[in-house]
Amino acid sequence: MNLAICLLLQDDHEITIEELETRYNTSVTKGLTSTFASQVLERDGPNELKPPKGTPEYVKFARQLAGGLQCLMWVAAVICFIAFGIEVARGNVTAFDNLYLAITLISVVVVTGCFGYYQEFKSTNIIASFKNLVPQQAIVIRDGQKNQINAHQLVVGDLVEIKGGDRVPADIRIISGQACKVDNSSLTGESEPQSKTPECTHENPLETKNIAFFSTTCLEGVATGVIINTGDRTIIGRIASLASGVGNEKTPIAIEIEHFVDIIAGLAIFFGFTFFVVAMFIGYAFLEAMIFFMAIVVAYVPEGLLATVTVCLSLTAKRLARKNCVVKNLEAVETLGSTSVICSDKTGTLTQNRMTVAHLWFDNHVHAADTTEDQSGQSFDQSSETWRSLARVASLCNRATFRPDQEGVPIPKRLVVGDASETALLKFTELTVGNIMDYRNRFKKVVEVPFNSTNKFQLSIHELEDPLDLRYLLVMKGAPERILERCSTILIKGQELPLDEQWSEAFQTAYMDLGGLGERVLGFCHIYLNEKEFPRGYAFDPDEMNFTTSGLCFAGLISMIDPPRATVPDAVMKCRTAGIRVVMVTGDHPITARAIAANVGIISEGSETVEDIAQRKRIPVEQVNKRDARACVISGGQLKDMSSEELDDALRNHPEMVFARTSPQQKLIIVESCQRLGSIVAVTGDGVNDSPALKKADIGVAMGIAGSDAAKNAADMILLDDNFASIVTGVEQGRLIFDNLKKSIAYTLTKNIPELTPYLIYITVSVPLPLGCITILFIELATDIFPSVSLAYEKAESDIMHLKPRNPRQHRLVNEALAVYSYFQIGRCSFAGFTDYFTAMAQEGWYPLLCVGLRSQWENVHLQDVQDSYGQEWTFSQRLYQEYTCYTVFFVSIEICQISDVLIRKTRRLSVFQQGFFRSVKTHPKHASLGIMYLNSTQLVQWWFVPVPYGILIFVYDEIRKLGVRRYPGSWWDQELYY
Amino acid sequence: MEPSSTEGGAEETLLKNHPPNLPHKVILKHGQELEEEQEELAEHQPLEQEDLNFERWKRRPLPERTLHQKIVDIKTYLWNAETKEFMGRSGKSWSLILLFYTALYVFLAAMFGGCMFCLMWSISPYHPTFNDRVMPPGMTMSPHLEGHEIAFNASDRKSWKKYTKSMDEYLRPYNDGAQEKKNIRCAQDRYFMQDDLEESTERKACQFKRSWLGDCSGLQDPHYGYSQGRPCVLLRMNRILGYLPGQGKPINVTCGVKKGPPEALGEIQFFPKSIFDLKYYPYYGKLRHVNYSAPVVAVRFAGVQYDTHIQVQCKLNGKGIINDSPTDRYLGSVTFSLDVGA
Repeated sequence: MNLAICLLLQDDHEITIEELETRYNTSVTKGLTSTFASQVLERDGPNELKPPKGTPEYVKFARQLAGGLQCLMWVAAVICFIAFGIEVARGNVTAFDNLYLAITLISVVVVTGCFGYYQEFKSTNIIASFKNLVPQQAIVIRDGQKNQINAHQLVVGDLVEIKGGDRVPADIRIISGQACKVDNSSLTGESEPQSKTPECTHENPLETKNIAFFSTTCLEGVATGVIINTGDRTIIGRIASLASGVGNEKTPIAIEIEHFVDIIAGLAIFFGFTFFVVAMFIGYAFLEAMIFFMAIVVAYVPEGLLATVTVCLSLTAKRLARKNCVVKNLEAVETLGSTSVICSDKTGTLTQNRMTVAHLWFDNHVHAADTTEDQSGQSFDQSSETWRSLARVASLCNRATFRPDQEGVPIPKRLVVGDASETALLKFTELTVGNIMDYRNRFKKVVEVPFNSTNKFQLSIHELEDPLDLRYLLVMKGAPERILERCSTILIKGQELPLDEQWSEAFQTAYMDLGGLGERVLGFCHIYLNEKEFPRGYAFDPDEMNFTTSGLCFAGLISMIDPPRATVPDAVMKCRTAGIRVVMVTGDHPITARAIAANVGIISEGSETVEDIAQRKRIPVEQVNKRDARACVISGGQLKDMSSEELDDALRNHPEMVFARTSPQQKLIIVESCQRLGSIVAVTGDGVNDSPALKKADIGVAMGIAGSDAAKNAADMILLDDNFASIVTGVEQGRLIFDNLKKSIAYTLTKNIPELTPYLIYITVSVPLPLGCITILFIELATDIFPSVSLAYEKAESDIMHLKPRNPRQHRLVNEALAVYSYFQIGRCSFAGFTDYFTAMAQEGWYPLLCVGLRSQWENVHLQDVQDSYGQEWTFSQRLYQEYTCYTVFFVSIEICQISDVLIRKTRRLSVFQQGFFRSVKTHPKHASLGIMYLNSTQLVQWWFVPVPYGILIFVYDEIRKLGVRRYPGSWWDQELYY
Repeated sequence: MEPSSTEGGAEETLLKNHPPNLPHKVILKHGQELEEEQEELAEHQPLEQEDLNFERWKRRPLPERTLHQKIVDIKTYLWNAETKEFMGRSGKSWSLILLFYTALYVFLAAMFGGCMFCLMWSISPYHPTFNDRVMPPGMTMSPHLEGHEIAFNASDRKSWKKYTKSMDEYLRPYNDGAQEKKNIRCAQDRYFMQDDLEESTERKACQFKRSWLGDCSGLQDPHYGYSQGRPCVLLRMNRILGYLPGQGKPINVTCGVKKGPPEALGEIQFFPKSIFDLKYYPYYGKLRHVNYSAPVVAVRFAGVQYDTHIQVQCKLNGKGIINDSPTDRYLGSVTFSLDVGA
């Protein structure tokens, strides 16, 4: 279907106006008839971007409530409700516990679900940003009448008028126009206005001048045109549907967590079902067995985990926001950490996005100008007479001016009226000469010939500063060759020397050098006009050029470039050491792209392209072994002719890649190729048509300043300062959070075993229940959240930016070693719980051996005189109270062990003593949780100390483990015990 | 960088002097195009027809692994014949890891056992370390079968047989013969303190004879009044080690109607009297007070109204006794329903 539209579109700009009229049944003078227009509207629908038929909101919400863990919790809650119903019917006083449990479980599911839904909702309203581009009103001619109507009522064939300032209401074929210029930036990201005329200038509809696109802005002039596409069938409409259609790929961390949750849920069901069967076999009633099942699920599932992960990620996101990276999609934080390829834009991201004077050539020397953003660099020697002349030419032969009222603003940041080169020159002269406006006033401008494409130079004639000197000064700048052609002398150290072969060669060398740096070079010359020939009041005619324009005196060359940002070379270097490839994808010319790439280190020193090698060895390009070339520059034209296999090959063989002259759409192909090679790709972009690539990338990074709304919406992350270095900060944080999440999860998992074992013992040995479900939830959702979140603040153990990016297939978030170590080695602090539990029972009168098999009596509501080991008789409520005491005691034990646990989890390899105990201050909320326990049982202090030896044991054991891991890397110990 | 732009005098001289190389081309390019760039800037990115072929950008779904492949994968995981690995580990690896865990858990079990040993060593067999959970005492009654309902017809033997049977059982330890043989006769009206004895010595216990319960003893009337529609119930206070109830003043027992017409209960008789004598306290625990017999108060509802459903509550009254706990209905009180038919 798309192809058909393309063909149609192609046709539309080439056919004659008469054919167009017949095709759309319209008239270029009267427009459509209203009746026909309404018929077409009926057929095609309104002229607006329709959001794609996505999943309905309630389905999305329901999906959030139906994840792996959530389903388990629902089942558990339902079992609780059933149990509650049955027990209430039996008149059991303790039944309300089940009700509370059910309510807690449901609220946990609902709250986390709402949170997840909100997250998803925030990151998917991409189509809304395209809506902002759509014009509201349009002037349409129907039945020969000019009307202003709502833009969404426009139909194909409508005759519309656009004028400066309007948004183009649809894709239109221009019928007539006057000086109409259109800003295509919303579509292509390039800000240079394109003129639109009725002539078909190109067979490609996107390049021809007689088609204006939906949502672009008309800057000046007026035009009339016939609508050829509306709504979703316009170019922008298709980009929009593509951008929203490229599915949200799951981020690596999401895959990790899903993988982990599946395992947990599977194990929970496995355990639950096993013990359900065991309980049934032992002879428990069906309902009781179901309650056991539920309790095991509650104990085993880490309810607080998702919240912990979310909080950890949002903390990092917050930290990143302070460093100018706004993360829209929380999971993107970690994705950035696993990034292995960054496809970066050049303009504005790697460079400062302002033309700046980089080099000057005068007195037969190349001088480097200061290109730093804050003018902190070295300046060149300005004592030469030649420099003074060159500066004068550069100052006078310049039409750019500063916008008024900017005295306080630093010169490089001031706004200027004028094109990029002139702006660069103006700022440069303002910085070196000073107060250019005043300077120009002193040299009164008599006449001026602006730049045009036939002359390829610009000149102006000025009176001199000295009122006694009645000569005129002619200053000229332009393309260096053209300028040189007109010169007969050259200024060297203030002396006018004849421009002989030698100087000409020197000029060529300099020009070549500067051009090789990818810089835009301009030549400057001047001449004092003969006083006699051109006396004061001489009528200079800019059209006739009735004055000397040859035999001038060459002053020098000035070259300009959009210089790299100061922080970028460092950042690229960091990426290199971190094993991340930086691929430059730009619309610029290959030479410029290559020069900048070399400048910032994307192409490292000594790296050669295939062409370089061919040239060095003086052999044809075909004979060069491609593997010898580290660097490679591919232009958009070449890319178009490459098959995807060839592109993959190129990416595989050349570590240093630059793509130049690419259309933003080609970015998508590059991204896809990188992903095919197994990389996690980050992409930067700013234009609307970057949005599909941003979406497709594992992590899309939009520019905060230069970026369009659509790009920002499609991206996962926004760089507020458009600076590449911020991405590197992001990578660092992303890697850190991966490590820290690992610690957090290890911490969270550890307590599942001590939570689970009480039930297992309860069912199999029939002791009074040591730990209740509510208590478990309290641990999961209240006391343990803070410490696990505090681990997110942990500093890196080693220089994470010296490691390779993690391989998502090998370095999992939760690996076997982590789970096994947490469950079976640190998780044994359940022994501490049982020690404490039996202590509490024994000290109140129930010896451990009596406890075994006591359950049926203990839980019998009708027995009010159950005897303990001393012959004392307990009522049911007294026993229940004792059971609650046991819960608390077990809880305290888990907490004490968890304090130890949070300390050991601070590091995976280093000793805690090396890392520092309280470097992450947030460990302290743990003590707050102890406070809560204290309120719970004021007289239980004696049982707080029972589990302490186990806590110390955990700590010592882990220190031994870490010591072994550090001492004997690669040993059995390291392999089995390092997670 | 089109090589077509090789015209122009300056370029030709250059061509002679230098081999055709890249920077050279730069010159050409700049010579020819710089001015145009001046006009259009270098940024123009031409949109291509191909750019609009949106289909090719749509993500192609990865091929799903078939069920067969998955099963094969699991099989290899379980037993990899090539490497002789079971679940990703070779035999040596398994034995090492199992050895490690065995050692670890043996150590842990030993530590746990040690802790338990220390615990039992530190706990006195004669008195519990704490008794705050079991205080104040609860109250129990007989007959007690599953619930606390007493409903029968006096004329229907079957309807009350279970109650009398339960009470027979309950009173057997109080048989006069057994009491006389095992326990001493006490006459004092104060606590029977035996703290000055050596800790492990067996403590003496006071007699409580069944015959003292009179009409409710089941000796004269083996039906405890059930056959006459004047039922007895037996009340006992829960034993608590070392507990001195009433702080010098004996605890007494009262019974009343909790729900139902108050007059329906009629006359209430207590045997031997409505108090728990001080001489039976304190209790010295199962180990030392082997033959301890907790005192019983028998209550006889002599004038209960027939065919009326009433809820009767019997309470302990005295210092330190709680009989109105909202959470524990058996703390210091016991409630049962009484429904007597002719």
